[in-house]
Amino acid sequence: MNLQAIFQRTQRGFRNDLRLHAVAVVSLIVAFLCLGTALLGMENLSRIADRWSQTQHLTVYLRADASAEAVAQLRTSLTSLREIGKVEYVSAAQARELFLQQTSLGAEPSVLGEDVFPASLEIDLATRLAPERLEKLAQGISQFSAAEEIETYRSFIGQFHTLLEVGRTGAWGLSLLVLICVLAVIGNTIRLAVLNRKAEIEVLKLCGATDAFVRSPFLVEGVLQAAMSASLAMVLLLFAYLLLRGRVESTLTAFTGVSSVFLSPLTVAAVIAAAGMLGGLGSAWSLRRYLKV
Amino acid sequence: MTDPPSGSEVPGARRSIIRKKHDETAPNLKPILIMEEVYKYFRRDIPTLRNVNLTVHRGEFVFVTGPSGSGKSTLLQLIYRQHTVDSGRILFSGRDVSRLTDKSIPFLRRNLGIVFQDFKVVPHWTVFENVSVALEIIGAPARVLRVRVSEALERVGLAGRGNDRTGALSGGEQQRVAIARAIVTDPALLLADEPTGNLDPQLAIDILTLFQEIHESGTTVLFATHDHSLLQSAPHRLVVLDEGRVIEASQGIRAWSARQPAPAETGT
Repeated sequence: MNLQAIFQRTQRGFRNDLRLHAVAVVSLIVAFLCLGTALLGMENLSRIADRWSQTQHLTVYLRADASAEAVAQLRTSLTSLREIGKVEYVSAAQARELFLQQTSLGAEPSVLGEDVFPASLEIDLATRLAPERLEKLAQGISQFSAAEEIETYRSFIGQFHTLLEVGRTGAWGLSLLVLICVLAVIGNTIRLAVLNRKAEIEVLKLCGATDAFVRSPFLVEGVLQAAMSASLAMVLLLFAYLLLRGRVESTLTAFTGVSSVFLSPLTVAAVIAAAGMLGGLGSAWSLRRYLKV
Repeated sequence: MTDPPSGSEVPGARRSIIRKKHDETAPNLKPILIMEEVYKYFRRDIPTLRNVNLTVHRGEFVFVTGPSGSGKSTLLQLIYRQHTVDSGRILFSGRDVSRLTDKSIPFLRRNLGIVFQDFKVVPHWTVFENVSVALEIIGAPARVLRVRVSEALERVGLAGRGNDRTGALSGGEQQRVAIARAIVTDPALLLADEPTGNLDPQLAIDILTLFQEIHESGTTVLFATHDHSLLQSAPHRLVVLDEGRVIEASQGIRAWSARQPAPAETGT
């Protein structure tokens, strides 16, 4: 079949049903924008989760009755370990001061007692440790009499991962919705296009057009419509991302320790390709149902 | 499965559609269309066509006439396989069209030119697009397509009108576009189903003249009409249908009329 002729007829079809296709493209852009935003959010949350999973910090809370010798012994033991880079002692008063600085309670510091926070050893690890190794290290530290509790921040990261899983499930759900939306929009657009071009189809058949000849431009229209919508949605998402990144990037990086990224070129290409395939499927489904040639 | 009729190739770049004048007094007696004992029922008790036997030879111009509902359109529709015969057979170029598979029907239609009463042109397409579509279907290259569309438009008196929007043309001009589309592929047989039915008498004569010019260049024409003034204006073979039966008057309308007690003027 002559591809050039198919594209010429597709172009003619777009031209004749311009408004119909424009409405469909706008609807699909909204759907793909939702999907793209969800994917972008998941991509960056995953990066944060990965970064935080490889945490390099430990806090050892000391017993209130721990002697200075016991604390010193613990500190010496810790600094001798290869995995540990730096150990800093934070007294109860320093911890209270730090808390008051980081919160807005500065006007009424008297509400907090002097010994409301325990003294602690803040440990920076020299190397990134696997979660199992970190757990083992924490168990070892807990054997020391001066240590009351060890915070590895694993529970927080665990909660974050749970949140991430919920997000992933949501993204899958959204993908399914977008899939249905694309099939419905393309299917209906092609159905209306078939109705609009009933006379044209009749002429084609009477002139000896095969079913494939009649159907091919509608199929191409479906594929192009969806792929075009996805491409435009990705471009809009990129613009929005760049605009937002300029304003909040430094705050986000400071807060999360991770700089944000846009979707990888591979992901963008996959979204556009999948959109094209969905468009073709929606179109084929509609043609099968409504175009009796 | 019956093979489709041959001849669906792209009309040759140099095989001009303007052919030498055809002499009907020396007909080519090779039949192009044979209908044998054809029956068609749309209602179980009343056949629309009954025992139709008809042979059309290459290069003939045949009028098919009869009152409304006599089966003229059905007869033509059976030839281009809009419908299938219930019994009997229709041989076009030696192939039984009633036995063609659905996939073969397009190849049958590529060998036919069909013109309708309601023109069946796409109004929002240009004249060029409406005519060229028949060549696009058979995969004609763009260069051949341009040449042949120009030739066809010239033949129907629409030279230079290719870029006009078809919907903006008059009825007569739209029918000329439809005729150009029908002849642009140089079909073996041209079927015209009441092509003047929507036109005023003068335009009807013009369109008939156009068909005769096409016929003179060698194309076989089967022209269905109930307009007696048209039948009287051209001395071609006449096939009369009445309640689905064929009465053939090979000497033309005058010979047929002479045999009738009172030739009734029929209307749509």
